Amino acid sequence: MDKKLHSVSPESGPNSNLDLTPQLAQSSSAFLFEPKNIVPFETALGWQKNFQKNLIEEPFSPQAVWLLEHFSCFTMGRGSDKKNLLFEENNSPLPVFSIERGGEVTHHMPGQIVGYLVLNLSLHKKDLSWYLRELEQVLIDVLDLLEIEGKRVDGLTGVWCEDKKVGSIGIGCKRWVTQHGFSLNVDCDLIGFEKIIPCGLDKVKVGKLSDWIPGIKVCDVTPLLRESVKRRFKLNWEKINQPF
Amino acid sequence: MPALSSTMTEGKIVEWLKKPGDKVERGESVLVVESDKADMDVESFQDGFLASIVMPAGSSAPVGETIGLIVETADEISAAQANAPSPSPQSGGQEKESSSPQVQDKQSSVDSPKATVVTKASPAPLVSESSVNQDQFLNDGRIVASPRAKKLASQMGVDLATVRGSGPHGRIQAEDVQSAKGQPISVPWIAESNAPAKIVSDVPRIEKKSVDSGKPPAPGKSFGSRGETIAFNTLQQAVNRNMEESLNTPCFRVGYSILTDELDDLYKQIKPDGVTMTALLAKAVGLTLARHPQVNAAFSSEGIAYPSQINVAVAVAMEDGGLITPVLQNADKTSLTDLSLQWADLVKRARNKQLEPQEYSSGTFTLSNLGMFGVDRFDAILPPGTGAILAVGASLSKVVASKDGSISIKKQMQVNLTADHRVIYGADGALFLKDLAYLIEKNPYSLSS
Repeated sequence: MDKKLHSVSPESGPNSNLDLTPQLAQSSSAFLFEPKNIVPFETALGWQKNFQKNLIEEPFSPQAVWLLEHFSCFTMGRGSDKKNLLFEENNSPLPVFSIERGGEVTHHMPGQIVGYLVLNLSLHKKDLSWYLRELEQVLIDVLDLLEIEGKRVDGLTGVWCEDKKVGSIGIGCKRWVTQHGFSLNVDCDLIGFEKIIPCGLDKVKVGKLSDWIPGIKVCDVTPLLRESVKRRFKLNWEKINQPF
Repeated sequence: MPALSSTMTEGKIVEWLKKPGDKVERGESVLVVESDKADMDVESFQDGFLASIVMPAGSSAPVGETIGLIVETADEISAAQANAPSPSPQSGGQEKESSSPQVQDKQSSVDSPKATVVTKASPAPLVSESSVNQDQFLNDGRIVASPRAKKLASQMGVDLATVRGSGPHGRIQAEDVQSAKGQPISVPWIAESNAPAKIVSDVPRIEKKSVDSGKPPAPGKSFGSRGETIAFNTLQQAVNRNMEESLNTPCFRVGYSILTDELDDLYKQIKPDGVTMTALLAKAVGLTLARHPQVNAAFSSEGIAYPSQINVAVAVAMEDGGLITPVLQNADKTSLTDLSLQWADLVKRARNKQLEPQEYSSGTFTLSNLGMFGVDRFDAILPPGTGAILAVGASLSKVVASKDGSISIKKQMQVNLTADHRVIYGADGALFLKDLAYLIEKNPYSLSS
């Protein structure tokens, strides 16, 4: 009696020795969401958590990418230093969210594109600094298409144009499933950055794309970002069911 | 300190999520490590207790450095704490380095180029007990094994001291004995879950095995060898007769997608009480049939026969061919616990061919579930003498967009009803499925009351 048909192993728990590191990323699929309206921070956080939880439980469940804008807020990483908030914490001008990502305090607001990527790095490359550099490259490629020179600064994470930081990066990772991602300042009001020391970098100057391309809008940049993310991480966009 | 990237030489401990003395479950996050702008939750790879924190939050440690100790039992905490200040793991003790499963992967896969880098970057002893090859695994005196594992081990001549246990607290299960012996692990035919049985995530493992052994994985089973013709056994003959007879029945099919998140939650809660998914589904079907007597009815030469009971038969494939449909009597009125007990008993006796005819031929409605194999949908053949059979697929994650534009992942299970159109009409089937879906989606807790 051949029992192999039934040999569905019972032990594919978190401890199973699945080495899923492929010989470098073949394509994988992900859902792409581009909400038309501005999204409250905690709402998008819930979306990411949901996908991350599913991916942790089932490594082949769908990955997801969001390109969206937030209402004005500050976010802190788990290791963030509160000294970088230039106001009393209980007297904040804007909502402050403490989230599970690396890096120091940052600021979101309309006019800035936030990109969230919930990817299973086991399907890509299990290397967090590789992932951070790839996220930077996503932004640099987009700037290139806009004929702006984007660059990295040695020892730091993020993307700069001339001496101004236009793109920030911060991620969290659990069992190689990522959350959070990047933000790119397009035509936003940068005044909120004066209330914090962005990324804990004392002398950093923050810029936005409209400093170089007057009149540029979020809707001009989103399609470029969408393609850049797709190409960089070799993603196929899944179709979305709408049963309701 | 786990390596979060190939170039990482040290990591900063952002936060310990557990205190010394805290119980830690396998897969639970123990601490957060930051490298650059990335945070990683580092998880324990086993059940145990966090005995001590060697590197406190805020400190940085080179990759491979011992940052904390996890022990198996509460009794070992003090012993481990006594040894704790030493940055290198004590050999031979129970202490285990806290590191993520991913790191072990790297350590054990020597052929991976990354592993070399990790080793170079980690002068401190890194080898934790769990990265020791399974073949070399030795239990230290205390052997906890299930009765079935002990029996199997003595039958197969396996020394339990050399078997790694995968059960709670390292308890040795029958499967561990089988895998130690290199035998394929068999799971019972009636997997008690409606989830896809993690088949996809097993693919890499199967591939690995096939490389190791040079043998391709078996695609499925057969009862005979190549070139042979094997006579049907009695059970197979009976199935053949029924299947042929079903060709005289004018059947139609109607399908429905049911969200199962609520049902899954309920299942998780009551599983410890011994309630099985089969019992849950049978009960849901039973209760819905009580409200839809037409779907419980059957064709007879005199007219439509309405049975006095609701008896849900559940198809079970037999390992040596054929299938049998043990019956859960009065599925609408019997409690989940009783249904679960009855089901376990029926399956056990079905395997030993000890079922009375009444126990497998009195079904008024049949349930066939292939969800445990990851099947997303199928259709079933109607057993003669009944009006309908429900084919149940796996509950799979689907992305759904709701009216307000929010997007979420829901578990969705496809069911497909095959019915005799002489008795049950399309609208009857549709209303039955709609009610069943409502019960499972919106009111699963009524099943347990």
